[in-house]
Amino acid sequence: MSILNKQATILKLGDINYKRNKQIILHNLNFEISSENFILMTGQNGSGKSTLLKIMAGLLKPDSFDLSYKQCVQTNSIEKKNSWSAAKKFLRQNFCYLHQTPYLFSGTVYDNIAYGLRHQGLSRSEISHKVSEALKIIALPHLGNRNSYALSGGEKQRVAIARSWVIHPAFILLDEPFANMDKHSRNSAYDIINQLKEDNIGIILTSHDPHSGELDFNRHMHLHQGGMIEKQA
Amino acid sequence: MATLQALNLLFSGDTELWEIIFLSFSVSFRAILFSAPLAIMIAFCLAYLQFPARRFFIALFNTAMSIPAVVVGLTLYLLLSRSGPLGDLKLLFTQEAMIIGQMVLCFPLLVALSHATLQAVDRRAWETAITLGAHPFRAVFTVLKEARFGLTAAILAGFGRIIAEVGSSMMVGGNILHYTRNIPTAIALETSKGSFAQGIALGIVLLLMALLLNLFLTYIQGQGEHSL
Repeated sequence: MSILNKQATILKLGDINYKRNKQIILHNLNFEISSENFILMTGQNGSGKSTLLKIMAGLLKPDSFDLSYKQCVQTNSIEKKNSWSAAKKFLRQNFCYLHQTPYLFSGTVYDNIAYGLRHQGLSRSEISHKVSEALKIIALPHLGNRNSYALSGGEKQRVAIARSWVIHPAFILLDEPFANMDKHSRNSAYDIINQLKEDNIGIILTSHDPHSGELDFNRHMHLHQGGMIEKQA
Repeated sequence: MATLQALNLLFSGDTELWEIIFLSFSVSFRAILFSAPLAIMIAFCLAYLQFPARRFFIALFNTAMSIPAVVVGLTLYLLLSRSGPLGDLKLLFTQEAMIIGQMVLCFPLLVALSHATLQAVDRRAWETAITLGAHPFRAVFTVLKEARFGLTAAILAGFGRIIAEVGSSMMVGGNILHYTRNIPTAIALETSKGSFAQGIALGIVLLLMALLLNLFLTYIQGQGEHSL
């Protein structure tokens, strides 16, 4: 999925502004991220965490936006007509966003995890192998044929993380991933998050969960009143 | 007495009666087949895209649902009659004209019901498909798949609307035996002649079809709830 070179995945995101109903949600945010980053993003309810993640995933159009990566190979500005289209395409190819309450498509767990892989032109056996591997990592190897609506909230979240992991994006954006999880599900989610790190997938995670500290973040960003503060990790 | 004759006509395999039934289903099936894809795509655009006059179009389709069949028939008749702007097409009193009339009738209903169904599909379905790397066209099909039960119900409701309509088929079809006579126009004709047996037999077919459609709709809706 990712089109970025794994050795040099430094992205510079700048001039991010977003208003909703004339209220400023994000104001002139500028920051850099790398695929080696494991970022905890905090902020009060309504501080714009989910909005920022959706913009980064190319799912929400900001009022203004600048994107550059590597040595400014690509720079896009929302002011030009096609620039958001180009930035959006780039972001969608490199970022995968997970909703706070994940959406699983109707069908089996297998179908859900295989969804992204089916758009990558892989053979059936390759897809099957990757899905089996993902099911093992989320400790649900026996649930491949289970209908997705029959899963608990925690199981759905784990399946959703696995579904993102198998397509191997440059960055995964996790929006409050532990909100619906008990301790067992959370530990299983930690395992897959560690797997993401091992695979050099950059992670940005928003959380209110005090246990999130058990995860080994190397950056901590805090959103407050539309702005962003980098805190000590 | 007439009811017994009607049952006898049905079960004895009366050729004329079954020909009318077959023609009726054939015309309405083609009308649904041709209108549903475009109607669903328009419904998708109304549900998912933001553009000027979007609300106006929604209101327009909702209003058009209640256009009387006879008004559609009259309009098409004026367009297709020899002196009308589309007279050269020579479509008046043909099955094609009946199909066009039924398409016009079911189209707004299909758009309005499909729009309501698609509007109810969780937005996260679209976002999830996109973020997992689906091309927007593939994401559209994913959303349609998620809404399949509601969309099937919309199509069945559209079919129910046109299979029983008499105004448009009578005016643009002409009720010609073996060619454009369908169930509703045959019932109207036989009743006006005082020959009730065939009318009752065809009425039984329509009622049975309505029952089957509703049973199927209930089953479909049950499946939809089950998959939530």
